[in-house]
Amino acid sequence: MKQFIITIAIAFTCFCYGQTCTYTFLGELSDFHDGTPIASATVFIKEHNKYIVSDSNGKFKIENLCSGTLTLKISHIGCETKTMSYIIEGDTYAAIKLEHHIEELDQISVTGNTSKQKTKTAQETVLKANTLKKYSALNLGDALKEVAGVSSINTGNAIVKPMINGMHSSRLLILNNNVRLQDQEWGIEHAPNIDINSADQISVIKGSGALAFGGDAIGGVIVVNPTRIIRKDTLYGRTIIGGQSNGRGYNMSSTLNKSYRSGWFANIQGSLKQNGDFKAPDYNLTNSGLKSHAFTVSAGKKKFESGFEVFYSYLDNEIGILGASHIGSIFDFDRAINSGQPLTIKDFSYDINAPKQDITHHISKVNYYKRFQNFGKVNLQYDYQNNQRFEFDVRRGELRVVPAIDLTLQTHSLLADVNLDANLDRKIDFGIMGRFQDNFANPDTGVRRLIPDYEKYDFGAYTTAEFQVNDGLIIDAGLRYDFNRIDAKKFYLKSRWEERGYDADFSNIIIEELPTQLLTNPVFDFHNISASAGIKYTINESNQIILNYGLASRPPNVSELFSDGLHHSAARYEIGDLRFNKEIANRVSASYAYNVSKFNLLAEVFYNRIEDFIYLRPFGDIKTNRGPFPLWQYKQTNAQLFGMDLTTTYNITDALLWQNKTAFIKGYDLKTNLPLIDIPSFNTTNQITYSNEAWYNFLVSLKSEWSFEQNEFPDFNFEIEDPLTGEMILIEISTPPSAYHLLHLYSEALFSLTEKTNIKIALSINNIFNTSHRNYLNRLRYFAEDLGRNITLQLELNY
Amino acid sequence: MNTNKLKINTNNLKTKTMKINYFNTMKTTNFFISAIFCLALTTSCSNDDDANPLPINPEELITNVTLTFTNNADATDTIVLESVAPDGQDGASTETVTGDFTSGATYALSLEITNESEDPADDVLNDDIIPEADEHFFTYAVNPSNLTMTRDGDDIEGPNGSKLGVNTTWVAGDVSTGNNVQIILIHEPTSTDDSNGFGSVTGGSEDLNITFTSVDIQ
Repeated sequence: MKQFIITIAIAFTCFCYGQTCTYTFLGELSDFHDGTPIASATVFIKEHNKYIVSDSNGKFKIENLCSGTLTLKISHIGCETKTMSYIIEGDTYAAIKLEHHIEELDQISVTGNTSKQKTKTAQETVLKANTLKKYSALNLGDALKEVAGVSSINTGNAIVKPMINGMHSSRLLILNNNVRLQDQEWGIEHAPNIDINSADQISVIKGSGALAFGGDAIGGVIVVNPTRIIRKDTLYGRTIIGGQSNGRGYNMSSTLNKSYRSGWFANIQGSLKQNGDFKAPDYNLTNSGLKSHAFTVSAGKKKFESGFEVFYSYLDNEIGILGASHIGSIFDFDRAINSGQPLTIKDFSYDINAPKQDITHHISKVNYYKRFQNFGKVNLQYDYQNNQRFEFDVRRGELRVVPAIDLTLQTHSLLADVNLDANLDRKIDFGIMGRFQDNFANPDTGVRRLIPDYEKYDFGAYTTAEFQVNDGLIIDAGLRYDFNRIDAKKFYLKSRWEERGYDADFSNIIIEELPTQLLTNPVFDFHNISASAGIKYTINESNQIILNYGLASRPPNVSELFSDGLHHSAARYEIGDLRFNKEIANRVSASYAYNVSKFNLLAEVFYNRIEDFIYLRPFGDIKTNRGPFPLWQYKQTNAQLFGMDLTTTYNITDALLWQNKTAFIKGYDLKTNLPLIDIPSFNTTNQITYSNEAWYNFLVSLKSEWSFEQNEFPDFNFEIEDPLTGEMILIEISTPPSAYHLLHLYSEALFSLTEKTNIKIALSINNIFNTSHRNYLNRLRYFAEDLGRNITLQLELNY
Repeated sequence: MNTNKLKINTNNLKTKTMKINYFNTMKTTNFFISAIFCLALTTSCSNDDDANPLPINPEELITNVTLTFTNNADATDTIVLESVAPDGQDGASTETVTGDFTSGATYALSLEITNESEDPADDVLNDDIIPEADEHFFTYAVNPSNLTMTRDGDDIEGPNGSKLGVNTTWVAGDVSTGNNVQIILIHEPTSTDDSNGFGSVTGGSEDLNITFTSVDIQ
């Protein structure tokens, strides 16, 4: 090859020597997207070592060229520098398309620490890698609490479901690398199946503004993005190793990224965590251990004009549920509440026994995109998800090793999106989505199915538009239609069927009659319209206002429709309702941002009115031969929620930063005028951070977390008669726990090992004073206190 | 000569480059299409057919609990307390009391715990509970205290050497009506105490909690 080049070089030299150089090269530069001429671009002529500039029509002329190769390097502000080679054998004309606005359009080429928002007028907060890495040993739900107005609803410490402005589960959409997570998200004790270590950036969008992802995001959208691809020849990685005193836990996570200038890339990431029994301030939380492993691989080619990606992720979580939360009857429940501490406390152990969950989640995805000149970008995506959930209960004999819940949920989705971005002042996106879902409830459990076998079909189409009216004003709007069909096959006990009155309304759906049970085939179709509109007005450099309106429709989920049975690991007998309508939410929000050099304020207010709001509430007891059992029923009502989230930062000095996050929210049932259940109480977080870059980027912060008592709660406490003595016992199933105040410490320092390698050491102490507390939004609050002091050491190696 | 050679060379070079580019895009597109196809193919086969799901008859159900008290002095003097819950823990239960205790008489209690939803009925007491006696414990209670009881010497050994409460002896006290008699089966208790025949526990969860009312002593 080398010889060949030399031969050519010699040949050229010889050739040129005998030639007259009279050829002309005429070039015309235009924008890839809208074809507008690019003026004032710099054209470097390599062979002549000379620069020229394109004229106002994007044209440039090179005269007196000899035959041979002409190499041009064209650069322009906002464009990617492009190098082109031409063989000159006569006068030549070339139209050259430049990738203008690359920063604006091509998110994959945005490198460094820039955050890319998914929406323009929604209340969106972006959490970046630096923040997320602090939560390497924890969950998605823990990390998201960095955003004011985001809390979590927990089952113990390992099952943490994010909650946005009081909404959780099916009202939040979670996207992992543009795949909408389908992981049986309906239940409170079903945590999102995402390994926080695979995320590089997370967008939290309050409300339903991001219509491209779905129309049922009554609460909000969480967009989890993996590492972005940098288009250059590079290999880099990161390893995090951590240990925690509480639960004697450890965590490891490694990621390795390889990419090429040509656009090819490959990433691999894996994590492992384990902890044994956690500890409340005064006792062990027996059987609260966790084992988790996860990995993600992806590869593909990202170029400006086109690209594709193949992605696969795997997650397996084995989660112990506090042993003391297993109850046989309301009397057990009452004893648990009154004893003030768990009735089963054993020595520390890594063992995970029943009750426990074992969940695996797979995501496979392929996507492809192509950009067309003067048009825009077309994206195609297919993804497949497989979610396998086992829940093990305390059982007798051989059944001990048989799960009580064994559900396999498989989901196929096809997406096609078009981004029309030829005109950057008027961007229009539209797309369609088709999805098929199949749930299989394994009969080998020997326990009647809580969730039945079903097939679900979804179809969606949306369009969104964004107009840049002037430098300070952006308007956006969107419209979406979704069709959902649920086709289930469910057994009802005849006694339940009649007790619910279904024999009168649904006798036509019975397909088989057994001695004590009925097999039914409920089929429900839902047509949903959702819409959004917003304005973002930048008054000046320091003042910005955003207004947004969102209409969202959510069909009832399978748990709300079909739940029927003892949910032992939740200590509930849960009953759904076949008669439910879809929920329709109207949400208006306003944000005001004030930014000056030392002070930043973001105030977000919202009002959300939800017609046919579905919620699960305690409903007295169901009599069984185990004694009475707590009964929870799904109910439908009209609800309103409103609140305000405040985020304030103030640079006291260059080294000292004060931050405050405060969230206030109220929710009411408009039919009964009662407060809504499970609404977070007023909470405020103050943090003071001292940092000194000169001293190995040293940083230390002290955080105060103050959670008030929820004094507005629906009182569903009930009395039950002790059948032996006739005495009435009050079951305080609704009474919230008291307020608490916790202090946390965090410190880190960064040491450079070589030019490209560094190590970050982080030490943190959570709940410094080992304060006893219970959280209203922890479902196990009846049985045990929350975590005591936890000292964490984490090493992060970047290479 | 030189010129000709050069021309051929450059042409060759040109076509070669073009070919490579063409081939690259082809490969990418082909790969993408075949990947989708493969995934669709492998997963579509795994869909369940339209067969109806199988019914589940819970295996660990307890439907019938029967306490038969027999007078040690007169085998014809029996009192039967029976609880029937056809749907087990999923539904209501009916309690019936047949016969009256004779004041001052001593009775042996015979327990029967079965799952009648299976055919033949499943003997839960002898097949499940007694083989796992170390993690089960029966407690009894009466209100008002017109009956006393003791755990027999030949009672089965329960958790931590305590007596399980399957073989018990009862003595009827004062003549009275409307006595309540309760039987509780605790699974995996943290601790048990049988010093008083009725027994008490901490921790664990209740597998049975049944109270019979209207028990009379004549």
